[in-house]
Amino acid sequence: MTTIPISTSNVDDEHAPMTASEDHVSTPPPLPVEPAVPAPQVETDVWQPLPLRARTLATIATLIGTLIPLAIALGVGLIAADRQPLSFAIAGALLLVIPAWTVWIARRRWLRTRWRLDDDGFGVRRGHMWRSDTRVPGNRVQHLDVRRGPLERAFGLATLIVHTAGTRNSALSLSGLDFEEAERLRDTLAARAARDDDHDDA
Amino acid sequence: MTMTTPEPAAPEALLPENHERRLHPGSWLFVLLQNLRQFIVPLAVLLFAGGRRDDGYPWWLPMIGVGALVVVSVWQYLTFRYRIDDDRLIVRSGLLERSVRQIPYSRIHNVAIHQTLLHRLMGVAEVRLESAGGTKPEAQMRVLRMPEALALEQLIRDRGRADAAVAAPDGTPVAAPEGTTLLALSTWEVVKLGLISNRGLIVVAGAVALSFQVMPERAMGRLLVEYGREAFGYASGFATTWMAKGVVLMGVLATALVLIRAFSVLLSLLRYHGFRLQRQGRRLTVERGLLGRSRSSVPRRRIQAWTQQEGVLHRLFARRTLEIDTASARTSDGQGNANAQHGLDALAPIAPPDTCDAIVRDIALLPSWPPQHWQPLHPRAWQRLMLGDLFVTVGLCAALAWFFHWWGALGLLWLPWSMFVARRHAARAGYAVDDALVAVREGWWSRTWRFAELGKLQAVELRQSPLDRRFGMASVWLDTAGANPLTTPLRLRFLSLDDAERIHATLAHAIARRPLRW
Repeated sequence: MTTIPISTSNVDDEHAPMTASEDHVSTPPPLPVEPAVPAPQVETDVWQPLPLRARTLATIATLIGTLIPLAIALGVGLIAADRQPLSFAIAGALLLVIPAWTVWIARRRWLRTRWRLDDDGFGVRRGHMWRSDTRVPGNRVQHLDVRRGPLERAFGLATLIVHTAGTRNSALSLSGLDFEEAERLRDTLAARAARDDDHDDA
Repeated sequence: MTMTTPEPAAPEALLPENHERRLHPGSWLFVLLQNLRQFIVPLAVLLFAGGRRDDGYPWWLPMIGVGALVVVSVWQYLTFRYRIDDDRLIVRSGLLERSVRQIPYSRIHNVAIHQTLLHRLMGVAEVRLESAGGTKPEAQMRVLRMPEALALEQLIRDRGRADAAVAAPDGTPVAAPEGTTLLALSTWEVVKLGLISNRGLIVVAGAVALSFQVMPERAMGRLLVEYGREAFGYASGFATTWMAKGVVLMGVLATALVLIRAFSVLLSLLRYHGFRLQRQGRRLTVERGLLGRSRSSVPRRRIQAWTQQEGVLHRLFARRTLEIDTASARTSDGQGNANAQHGLDALAPIAPPDTCDAIVRDIALLPSWPPQHWQPLHPRAWQRLMLGDLFVTVGLCAALAWFFHWWGALGLLWLPWSMFVARRHAARAGYAVDDALVAVREGWWSRTWRFAELGKLQAVELRQSPLDRRFGMASVWLDTAGANPLTTPLRLRFLSLDDAERIHATLAHAIARRPLRW
């Protein structure tokens, strides 16, 4: 049901990911609204920000993603051009301005991305210019993935992907979540989906 | 042997339980034909173009391939068994790797029975059972005897509902509910459908392309050029003025149009002749086709979303098209339009608007359809709609002005028309949300209505682009299962931000209260 890349490097986690998820699924579904739920960090009905580490990661990833292609393009351009001081100056300015701009966008996107888990289900808000607010009701969740790339593993982050049976919006993915929080979210949502299924069949 | 024969009274008599059954003994022939269809081109190439007879080329070599196919087909027939169980169908198949597949009746979304002309001559049919998602049917039975196929369909219909098994504890079959015919198309209606549709265009284009490929030595091209030159020579004999040339051109165009329409009518007769939509209990059954017949049946609760369409030609005949999305496999077989051939895409290919609405009311359990209270869009929606046109027109006019100087500015005359269209569109478009359904209507020239029950919605999204922000608008996108990517999505565009936020919140809350039943 879920795919968890098990990392050997990340041994400092309190529990191994696989066993943690199995435990949660097999136990009676925890109700996230009840105060006795052993998940104090998942606050309901509040728009939660992404952790600060996610901003650092976004900055690094954007820098890498912008600087390398830009440097290659500018290098080729400079070699092909007549190597005037002016063109060097322009290239240098571009090399500063464009990454700064993309990093600014990435950090702003980080700031504007909020998630929320409430009685109705899971919600993600994104963006300022292109704003979107997606809600997936808890009983529409088909299956869930927690994915981690190498960089995300290094930062202790994860991507949560919520699949529905829909067509266009059939997967809502949120990256930059704290790993443990992502797992807890996944387990809560999966348990809720299972509970709703039982109600449905009755 | 037609499919319109009444159902056999007791499917249990034809399909005894707990008894392994095989396909029709002639089944291997159809498997062979299907396999041959894939290999026919390479075989033909081998046979005719592979070598000349005189250099000792073994012409019988391809026959080995055909022989192997025969063996495989017979083998497939021998290894395919199915068994009717209490609540599921068990299919055993496989040549070397054996597989046993269990399909609960309640999970079958669509039962499609398909007959080509050859099937009809032999009194057999192909049965495909489809469940939600996936790209291939759950089970494909090539082929069953026609009464057996119908009995299987009825059995799935009866046992698919949970309460049917309870209602008949002593084994007596539940009395088959009398089917209600919701729509039956006469031949004249099907001809109208052909006149409205543009499918003929595809045929003409395909025929031209094919003739260019098949005819040797570019004979087709030469023919076209020669005839064209002759025709033009003949025409220019008496048509020396611009006027006459125009008339000739119009004549050619008119001929092409008539040809295309004729093919459209022919195609729709082939596809939709004898179209009948029936409701039997909770299932809908559609049967159609002139030479080959097909019959497919879906439980009505599997319908995910509805679309009504009305083009200009539709309005000329006062007709509409009613289509549905179901969550069953879309691109079956890997063949592009396999589903369009077998599946149940249109509940009413053509019907008067009132009939379409009545069908919706009857099947969707939406007594209030069509909604009485269409909500208007944002008052400035037409400006937002026109903005794109404005940019394109100004750009084009700039290009025209470059070539034709001031005459290019005449292109700006398009703008009043564009404004008129945008205003009409915005005035007609609207949405309706109540505690049963979400509906959107759009368009002015060609109109669409798209709606879904709240229980079928999967996710809600509020979107706002920078342009939307300037206008104080937002849109709400709703996702349903099984939506065709080519049809208009279910989205409420150009709402005022307040309305959009309110609808977004209401729907997100309402969907979470409804169990997913699909």
